[in-house]
Amino acid sequence: MANRADVPAVATLDVTVAYQEKPVLWDVDFAVPAGARCAIVGPNGAGKSTLLKTILGLIRPVAGQIEIFGKPYHRQRRRVGYVPQRGSVDWDFPTTVLDVVLMGRYGHLGWLRRPGQAERGMAEVALMRVGMQDYIHRQISQLSGGQQQRVFLARALVQDAELYFLDEPFTGVDITTERAIVDVFIEMQQQGKTIVAVHHDLETLKDYFDWVLLLNVRAEALGPVADVLTPENLRRTYGGRSGLIERGEEQQ
Amino acid sequence: MSGLSLPLLALTQPQLEIIAVAVVVSAACALSGVFLVLRRLALVSDAISHSILLGIVLAFFLTHDLASPLLMIAAAATGLATVWLIELLNRTGRFKSDTSIGLVFPVLFSIGVILISRYAGNVHLDVDAVLVGEIAYAPLDRLSLLGLDLPKALWVMGGVLALNVAFIALFFKELKLSTFDAGLAAALGFAPALLHYALVAVVSVTAVGAFDAVGSILVVALMIAPPATAFLLTNRLVLMIVYSVGAAVLSSVGGYFLARFMDTNIAGAMAAMGGVVFVLALIFAPDRGLLAQLLRHRRQRWDFAARLLAVHLLQHEGDADAQYECSLPHLHEHLRWTADFARGVVQLAQRQGLVVCGGEQLQLTEPGRRLANTVLGQS
Repeated sequence: MANRADVPAVATLDVTVAYQEKPVLWDVDFAVPAGARCAIVGPNGAGKSTLLKTILGLIRPVAGQIEIFGKPYHRQRRRVGYVPQRGSVDWDFPTTVLDVVLMGRYGHLGWLRRPGQAERGMAEVALMRVGMQDYIHRQISQLSGGQQQRVFLARALVQDAELYFLDEPFTGVDITTERAIVDVFIEMQQQGKTIVAVHHDLETLKDYFDWVLLLNVRAEALGPVADVLTPENLRRTYGGRSGLIERGEEQQ
Repeated sequence: MSGLSLPLLALTQPQLEIIAVAVVVSAACALSGVFLVLRRLALVSDAISHSILLGIVLAFFLTHDLASPLLMIAAAATGLATVWLIELLNRTGRFKSDTSIGLVFPVLFSIGVILISRYAGNVHLDVDAVLVGEIAYAPLDRLSLLGLDLPKALWVMGGVLALNVAFIALFFKELKLSTFDAGLAAALGFAPALLHYALVAVVSVTAVGAFDAVGSILVVALMIAPPATAFLLTNRLVLMIVYSVGAAVLSSVGGYFLARFMDTNIAGAMAAMGGVVFVLALIFAPDRGLLAQLLRHRRQRWDFAARLLAVHLLQHEGDADAQYECSLPHLHEHLRWTADFARGVVQLAQRQGLVVCGGEQLQLTEPGRRLANTVLGQS
């Protein structure tokens, strides 16, 4: 038996996913140690979002095993928080910021029970942490892209999970929001939480994350950012289309 | 039938009963319609309301009884099958959702029509009733329950309305989450697919009940127009549900009197009133209405012009020819404003305390100078 501290927050073994016979993920082995800030990086169509959705049971893999803290996901739902892509929901939906954040508590409430004062308090604290406390009664269609993302992050915070999956949290947000999100990531890490986020920007990778998976259908490289971010690995992942690769080679 | 009558409107009991049936039918449709509209499934209601005909006909062949509860169960099953078939076609990835809908329901509906006209021509299931319903005859078919003698349609639709209310009240939180963010709903273990099919079942049962009263084509109008109206009026889901029922009641009662006034088909008039209520909301809704948008747009144009004026005055404040630049006729020349518009903007800027006017000469106030500076700082 492995020591509890050695149990990875999330581990996939030989995960393969296909849409209509075309493999989107091929034999992916992926593990993140508890307490890491891990980025999933790769070109468009690499299967980054698919990997998150597969781990969360939203897509059924053709083959492979997935464990969250050593157990199947459906037994660990309350230990996992999820922030889908901002564009995956309809922001014209008739509801307020507070209401969206409260949705993060639904998993703990279970079927039929409604959120009350306690949940409202948690939502207020979470909105404060992402700097959105002044928008609590705002209709969600009036938010900017960055504000929408922060509301989603607040919703994840009230889930009070140990392991968080975020799908492109930095896409289409302003620089203030980007900094605010990273600050919250660092806070979360200090509280012992694990973060796994789909990321696009290789430039900021080193500053925002300490662990990385390079993904292009296959898992090309996995480990601490400093070890993994080599020109060789990047070329394998991006097929020579990454700006960082050339610059990396110039330095050599 | 006893002649209970209201002094003002002089309604007989059958007339009151028709109105009651109309209100209950449209309220039930409006309730399930809210989630169809929010889930962008409006056309699915069209598909369901047509294909359930096949279920009704098949169940009728089994029971030879149009009053059998089996008809409702069969219709709900056909509704579920319709949506399942549509999603099956969607999943092949070869058709867009509207194509799948357009493929599935006409096939099921036409089989129903063929079966009726071939084998059931002598019963009261006829094609006219299928198309526009027979709400006017609702008071003739009666049922006594709990000592109350009411039209059967009122009992049935009362039950359907209660089902809708119970479903939404009980699963409000779950419906909201799975409609807004199905991904999170699934990740949290709320089985959005199950809720989806539960909603489809409720819509199907509602459509069967409404089908009797208003026919398969107009069911769509009752399910879509009131929620669409309500969507324009509020930013809160609870209020959207309440307003949706309100719009439904308004259009059904209004439709009844329209039909009486014009001596025409009641169901048609109800659906037409639904359209009228929607257009009124589209024009006059406080925030999302066309009029509100127009006014907002105009106000923004004037506000912008007033700011522009402040900036213009600030930039020429110290100039040698400030006297000329800051005069009213010059604005007309320099900012390409018509004389009327320039006068209007100056008046607005004065009202907002941005400028003061001494004869032809304009001067910035302290707040006006601050505003102009912030505008310049922002750009």
